[in-house]
Amino acid sequence: MTRRVPPGLIWVAPAMVVLAALSIYPLLYLVKVSISDARGFTLAHYARLFQDRLFMVAAGQTLLYALAALALEFFFGLALALLVDSLAHGRALVRVSLLAPMLLPPVVAAVIWRLIYNPEFGVLNGMLRQLGFHTQSLTWTSGRNSAMLSVILVDVWQWTPFMFLLLTAGLQAIPSEPLEAARVDGAGYWRTLRDVVLPLLKPTILLALLLRSMDLLRIFDQIFILTQGGPGSATETVSLYIYRTAFRFSNFGYAAAMSFVGLVITTLAARSLMRLIKTS
Amino acid sequence: MKTILKYTAALLAMAFALAPIYWLITISLKTEIDQFASPPLWFHFTPTLRHYEGIFAHDAFGRYFLNSLIVSTCSTLIALALGLPAAYGLARFHWPGDWANGISFWILSNRMLPPIVTIIPMFLMLREVRLLNTLAGLILVDVALNLPFVVWMMRGFVEDLPREIEEAAMLDGESRLGVLLRIVLPLVRPGLAATAVFCLIVAWNEFLFALILSQTESAMTLPVGIASHVTQYEIQWGAMSAAGVVAILPVLIFASAAQRYFVRGLSLGAIK
Repeated sequence: MTRRVPPGLIWVAPAMVVLAALSIYPLLYLVKVSISDARGFTLAHYARLFQDRLFMVAAGQTLLYALAALALEFFFGLALALLVDSLAHGRALVRVSLLAPMLLPPVVAAVIWRLIYNPEFGVLNGMLRQLGFHTQSLTWTSGRNSAMLSVILVDVWQWTPFMFLLLTAGLQAIPSEPLEAARVDGAGYWRTLRDVVLPLLKPTILLALLLRSMDLLRIFDQIFILTQGGPGSATETVSLYIYRTAFRFSNFGYAAAMSFVGLVITTLAARSLMRLIKTS
Repeated sequence: MKTILKYTAALLAMAFALAPIYWLITISLKTEIDQFASPPLWFHFTPTLRHYEGIFAHDAFGRYFLNSLIVSTCSTLIALALGLPAAYGLARFHWPGDWANGISFWILSNRMLPPIVTIIPMFLMLREVRLLNTLAGLILVDVALNLPFVVWMMRGFVEDLPREIEEAAMLDGESRLGVLLRIVLPLVRPGLAATAVFCLIVAWNEFLFALILSQTESAMTLPVGIASHVTQYEIQWGAMSAAGVVAILPVLIFASAAQRYFVRGLSLGAIK
């Protein structure tokens, strides 16, 4: 018995081969690096993971960063999407302006905020001084306690537009009949929002949260430019820690073990979110 | 009253989104004295193009710009050349069972790989074949980054087209390749252009791969060049911000060309 090869395969094969060479093969290579050292097979890298306090700190902070930024971006994105949707004039102009931060290279976004946050010459403290505040203690990204909040704010600035845009599209796709029906029934704005709009928006919301959280968990660029993970390890994240381990300290084995564990965790998280999306 | 509140809130949001970008532009146009003025100067300063002249007189900067251009253009073209046939194959052929969706999801899952995971083996592999610090190495990883996106987006765009035209052409004796090149390609051109723009932006903005794979001046891209100057010459605000503005411009031009497809691209084709 011969099974026919699907005729479409020849069209898809080149892309699949290239992707396999550029992703499956590297993944296998990664696993191999993570379980070997100079003498051969070892599980020492994985064992080290569980005793490494800095890794735990970085993982905790990555999660904190991701959850805080996700919550803020979702809240402001939804609020703005609803607000702009209800404006009678100038919607297009507002939308285009709100889009801008998202387009910038993250490196440039981080450069901008370095100019803003600089405690001595930055425009933020400059404006606060103008308003009569004492700014000596406001060190933003270079303060131990304020650094995390400051980098999260940059993320919120750059990526709230992403939430805003996706949720706006979701709002525009809601058919007018259920809204009409709610109005006829005498439901007020907030009730309509809670009982009609949000449930209809749920698939878009979940998709936006999924896409955004995948990006947040791998956060690297902005923090690399803004704080390099400092001061101390106040803004250290998993990506930065892996980067340093591999490319500053040349410990590829341990870095590979960390990234493999990170990959497994994010994949599981993404899968459960995807399942949520499919069932809703 | 309520209307006034609404418009005030919208204006505040716009100001918060745009003011930092405006501030970058003013810094790039200010003399050192005006840059550090307290209280900050928002409007009243004498603009100068000195910082722009400065960075373009600096050989390395032109090099970074050119490198970024080469890497993003080449990786986009390769991703399109590989991705369009694949998308056509997935959209238009008869596949047994759920193969078409299975393959599509596998392709998309490559896009979900965190860069920090792929970069370690990529670095080691490219080092072995001596492609570190070359544009070719960087183009290769950017293809891996963008190819899944191209397949996923173009599959949707091809599926949006009516099948009948293609079927009629095949009855007239047109080959599959002929159908793709002479019928599908012209019809799908707006979608293809939008997809290309997205790939260009992703490759242009990409930082982590470039940071690790191109550490020599001759192979650095613009974001890496800017980053290396941030840490080296913290105090050269003028040069830094002028470089930043130059790095933003192409993205804005690309983006305005694909505005209509933004949501579709950002949601990986899920929202049309």
